Amino acid sequence: MSDRTSPASDNLPLPLSTRERGPETSPHPDPLPEGKGIVDAGGGRLYPDQFIHNVAAALAGAAGEQTEVAWRRDRKGVLTGWCRLPSGVALLPAARAVAELQGRLAMVTAYLPERAQEKGEREIAYHFDLDGATLTLTVILPLEWSRVPSLTPIFRNCDWQERELMELYDVQVVGHPDPRRLFLDHSLPHAPFERLVPYSTFTNAATSKALWDKVMAGAREDA
Amino acid sequence: MAIHEPGSAAEPVGLFRINTGSCNGCDVELAVTSAVAEFDVEQLGCRYTESAHEADIVLVTGPLTVRAREEVLRLHAATPRDKVTVAVGVCPVSGGVFRDSYAVDGPLERHLPVDVNVPGCPPRPQALLEGIREALEIRRARREGSEPTRLPGDRKQPGKPGTDNFPARGRLSFDAAACVDCRMCRHVCAAGAIRFEERDESVRLTLWHNSCVFCGLCSHYCPTGALSVTGDWRLDHRATDAFRQIERGEVPYAPCAGCGEPIIPAAPQLLHAAFRRPNPEIEKLKNLCPTCRQRMSIGVPRR
Amino acid sequence: MSTKIIELGSHQLALEEPMYFRVQLEGDRVADLDVMPGQVHRGMEHLVMRRNLYQNITLLERLCSLCSNSHPSTFCAAVEDVAGIAIPERAEYLRAVADEIKRIASHLFCCAVQANVIGETTLFRRVMEIREIMQRAKEAIYGNRMDLAANVIGGVRYDLDADSAAYLAGRMEEMKKPLDELYLQYENNPAIMARTAGVGVLTREAAREWAVVGPVARACGIDYDVRKKSPYGAYDRLEFEVALQTAGDVRARNLVRLAEARQSVSLIEQCLDGLPAGPLCADTLPEIPAGEAIAKSEAPRGELMYYLRTDGSDFPVRLKWRVPSYMNWDALKVMLKGEPVANIPLIVNSIDPCIACTDR
Repeated sequence: MSDRTSPASDNLPLPLSTRERGPETSPHPDPLPEGKGIVDAGGGRLYPDQFIHNVAAALAGAAGEQTEVAWRRDRKGVLTGWCRLPSGVALLPAARAVAELQGRLAMVTAYLPERAQEKGEREIAYHFDLDGATLTLTVILPLEWSRVPSLTPIFRNCDWQERELMELYDVQVVGHPDPRRLFLDHSLPHAPFERLVPYSTFTNAATSKALWDKVMAGAREDA
Repeated sequence: MAIHEPGSAAEPVGLFRINTGSCNGCDVELAVTSAVAEFDVEQLGCRYTESAHEADIVLVTGPLTVRAREEVLRLHAATPRDKVTVAVGVCPVSGGVFRDSYAVDGPLERHLPVDVNVPGCPPRPQALLEGIREALEIRRARREGSEPTRLPGDRKQPGKPGTDNFPARGRLSFDAAACVDCRMCRHVCAAGAIRFEERDESVRLTLWHNSCVFCGLCSHYCPTGALSVTGDWRLDHRATDAFRQIERGEVPYAPCAGCGEPIIPAAPQLLHAAFRRPNPEIEKLKNLCPTCRQRMSIGVPRR
Repeated sequence: MSTKIIELGSHQLALEEPMYFRVQLEGDRVADLDVMPGQVHRGMEHLVMRRNLYQNITLLERLCSLCSNSHPSTFCAAVEDVAGIAIPERAEYLRAVADEIKRIASHLFCCAVQANVIGETTLFRRVMEIREIMQRAKEAIYGNRMDLAANVIGGVRYDLDADSAAYLAGRMEEMKKPLDELYLQYENNPAIMARTAGVGVLTREAAREWAVVGPVARACGIDYDVRKKSPYGAYDRLEFEVALQTAGDVRARNLVRLAEARQSVSLIEQCLDGLPAGPLCADTLPEIPAGEAIAKSEAPRGELMYYLRTDGSDFPVRLKWRVPSYMNWDALKVMLKGEPVANIPLIVNSIDPCIACTDR
């Protein structure tokens, strides 16, 4: 069997393998002071408490003292952290702090949350990988005229995520180096995901209806 | 070179593929029919071509996305006039699970004529070969100016020995006598392949095999086994018969034994699932509407 | 030196799926690249919000047939997280079996296609024939050669009884020798080495900067496999080493895949040996409360991530996922830079790109 420790014991190091890193591979010139990152000096796993403390300190330092991360630890010991940023302005500094922690951008999710119309709000969640743990930073934006700064200058792989976000939603990504459409055909209207609420004729079930009419008609002929 | 007519060496029939935006399942299985000896299209006297001009048979996969449409139509227009077009998988026929998306512009027949459908998700290589065989027959008939004949052993015949020893997930079958009209099947069907109609004397279920993706989730969640997966994978048919590929059954109403309101009685299978060994008292419940059932249950002494 | 721009379609790129590249050439060498996806965009992230959680199991399995099991299993894990469901231990093992069977078939398809691209037709057919063992096993156990329909919310919907477990164990035995042989061929065969070694190189530094995942990253020496970094399902009880290479070229990527395929055989055997008794599913129709969750897995092409947000109904408020291929396209700029045009199809196929996954 593997040398994993029991997921039930909270105070042991996370039962995951070590992450190799070389200082020369860091895109960031200033290495973190020892003990402030998400791995120990030898590149090994930190104790969860220390890891959580260091992430909290980095985010609070960058995005303001009121920035809090709620962590959940699943049955296998995997951590997910959830943080709602106090303001849209906090996104850039918070993202830079994650980059300094050697975080990797994993995914960007834009969405209209439940009762979006009523609240007049939308959300964008930025999911980062921190050596196996996932940290989600959520910004809350107004439903109309939403703007976010581009994270592509910090995380190169944010490029496609933001291009896609811009074509599917009415959100402007400020400072994106290449804001062309990505997946959506030019004949399709802009921002199809905005049309979910209210439900429009844009996504009605016209094809289903036409096909089923024929199925029913064909069955009548046979009868 | 393959020989496809007895006694005469002939040019192989050219197969040309067009992917209109598929999940790649049908395409990967088509690749098998060019790479794996047992399923090689050579046995039918065919070979794959990369040139639209050499297409005797066109094999189309995918639900036809808006973005792929222009190129698909251009390629199809570049194929010879007398080619036979085969829709591979259910996507070109009905959109399958992708129907009614803003980004999908199918069904294919809206844009170009289709001759043969090969349902499946994806169809197994044996089914692909049967579909190509059907296309070859249409091609032969067209050239001779005759009517294409139905191929021998056309339906529900197992394939040749050695190729068909596995229980493939095929056509769904409906047993109306076991149905309790809970409609869980329709609820879990991603492809919208199941319809219920309320008629005067009955509730009618229709399942369209050209929309079904053969996942069997309806059967998994069916509490009575009214829907079941069969091993019948030979579903290829002429495109003109596309809308007749259905499974259908009527679940008749019966009057409630208490108040006489029309109800769908509980099937024996449901009682067995709920009570394991239903006694005559419980059997009485099956012909009662919910209101009368409650009334009766309260009146029944506890045991 | 002359600069020109050429446009390449799936035919020139030797891809099974529709895709377009705009390539900038300096002389006969690649200088820059614009990837133009979208041909297989089916609006799936929109469709999932108009389908309930049960329908989405089947819909997501049809995102891409090569990694089809990874999608429903990871999606179900997200739903289970929101609902606080611990799936039965037997279901964890059976999910791993399904995922590893798919990994072997997927990796072999990628290696076969590359053999075809470099004109090694005999090898191409040989790899496809070996892969057929897995295709038949999938049909025998699950009833379909691509889409397994193995997962439901709360567990799995198939079982391995003594007969089917013995059948699968036999197929695993049958795979060992051919997989070992293939590894040696892709490692040492001079004709293959001549086309793959030192070709399409991605350095470890660039791999980090472009944030690539899966075998593409592991071929550059990046020790990241979700099954180890963020264990899920049965993987915390299964023994395996992360397959690593350092050269970062086409050859290294294939060696990672072939080592992983061999390792998958061992993982399946471990599952069969240690398959716990018990139920297959936690609760047939669980309540799904309002909530949000992240679920991750190691799909054949690398890290797969799902985000689910629910409101207490059985329609998702949002279901977003990021496939591994999505992360790897842009790094082709680095891998192709300075390469002759003739190497483009091979290098593109060496990242095992999935367009159905990318476009959704």
